Amino acid sequence: MPKLDQNSITSLILKSGVILSLSMIIIGVVLVFIRGGGDSMSLSQVANYHNPGYTITSKSLLPANFLQGLINGDGLYFISVGLWVLIFTPLTVLIDALITFGHERNKLYTLLDAVVLFNLLIAIFVIPRFIG
Amino acid sequence: MDPVSILLSFISVVVAGFLAGLLGSLTGLGGGTVLVPVLTLFLGIPIVFATGASLISTIATSAGSASGYTKSKIANIRIAIGLEVATTTGAIVGSLTLIAVYKTGFIWIIYVIFGLVLLISLVPTINRARFELPKPMKPDWTTRIFNLYGTYYDQKLRKQVDYHAVRWWLGEIVMFFAGFISGLLGIGSGALKVLGMDWAMNLPMKVTTTSSNFMIGITAATGSSIYWFAGYIQPFLAAATAIGVLAGAYLGSKILVRITNVRIRWIFFWVLAFLGVDMIFSGIANKQGLPSTGTISYIGFAVSIVISIVLLLLLYAKVRRDRLHA
Repeated sequence: MPKLDQNSITSLILKSGVILSLSMIIIGVVLVFIRGGGDSMSLSQVANYHNPGYTITSKSLLPANFLQGLINGDGLYFISVGLWVLIFTPLTVLIDALITFGHERNKLYTLLDAVVLFNLLIAIFVIPRFIG
Repeated sequence: MDPVSILLSFISVVVAGFLAGLLGSLTGLGGGTVLVPVLTLFLGIPIVFATGASLISTIATSAGSASGYTKSKIANIRIAIGLEVATTTGAIVGSLTLIAVYKTGFIWIIYVIFGLVLLISLVPTINRARFELPKPMKPDWTTRIFNLYGTYYDQKLRKQVDYHAVRWWLGEIVMFFAGFISGLLGIGSGALKVLGMDWAMNLPMKVTTTSSNFMIGITAATGSSIYWFAGYIQPFLAAATAIGVLAGAYLGSKILVRITNVRIRWIFFWVLAFLGVDMIFSGIANKQGLPSTGTISYIGFAVSIVISIVLLLLLYAKVRRDRLHA
């Protein structure tokens, strides 16, 4: 079996992640301007990032609503998905590296990678339940 | 606000992000370290949104530049992932600390810590790249257990360089702090990561900077997800900074190879020193309950310009003296 070239795969994942994310973000910004806002907020409210109390924050943009937001053509959800693609890009790299270490039967680094992955997953899925 | 002024405001944030990405890439400090002060000091954006936008934009620049470095096989992914155990743990603790600080209302502390970290980061950044390869050290027990060996082709030296790292445990300790600072201040904290791999683990500078760049994305992703649910990311602002910082960092990496004049970098260092001093000044003004706009901010700017020039002259004199002795 040909040896997996870890660096080339990592490079490809990182590049595709950035391109996909930026495309979603740019489409989202255009949609917010064309439709005059998003997530039932006006353009002025969406763009009011000088006043934390009077604008939209990530807290009200729940990942559970992302799909519906995309279907509705809501620009804010396109931006949100674009930003989450950024968060998930390093996760994909870690999963890919985990597979590579597993193939190489490198027990120690499979374990270390799993710990890093565990930390990232805790940050994404567990800690949010306790903050807010 | 009418759509035209909103568009102009959006473009001004993209431009700020672009300049931050450019300067961050040219100095090697990363976009976030420049972006947070620029957004808070010049565009009057609350630091909570500035840190949120900065951290998530940092992932984009790290992934964008690391895709090139990893392909050329200079970055050591194995060593980097081993150290991420500490940076991701640090990032979790750092972001949770930030949440606690905001809830207790001590926001001014974040400004002051930010300014101090920025100023302290300047020292290793200025000293960086004086030596391409570190003085060889004997492999220790961690070198063998954690298999800290590697090799890369150095284009400048025109040879294949075999290297090994030492003191894995010390690297992990420094990396925990790097992660903590990343989560606390919304920056990549590349300067601290470089310190961990260069000073603590004795890795060659090229391997250190490229691996650190790769690691920044994973650390920033950990903090960003916590920031997201805490409501620190304003999506419209983060969209503008992500676009701007990425474009700036991309251009910076293209120009960097052409900059041969080392003196020009001192102008960039001065800008960073100014931002650091002004962040500390704003923090102190904030503690006293003074407004961040108007006369106070002008006095702050003037004082920061003077102090940063003095600081830079002192650093420049030290670097000159060290070089003469070397």
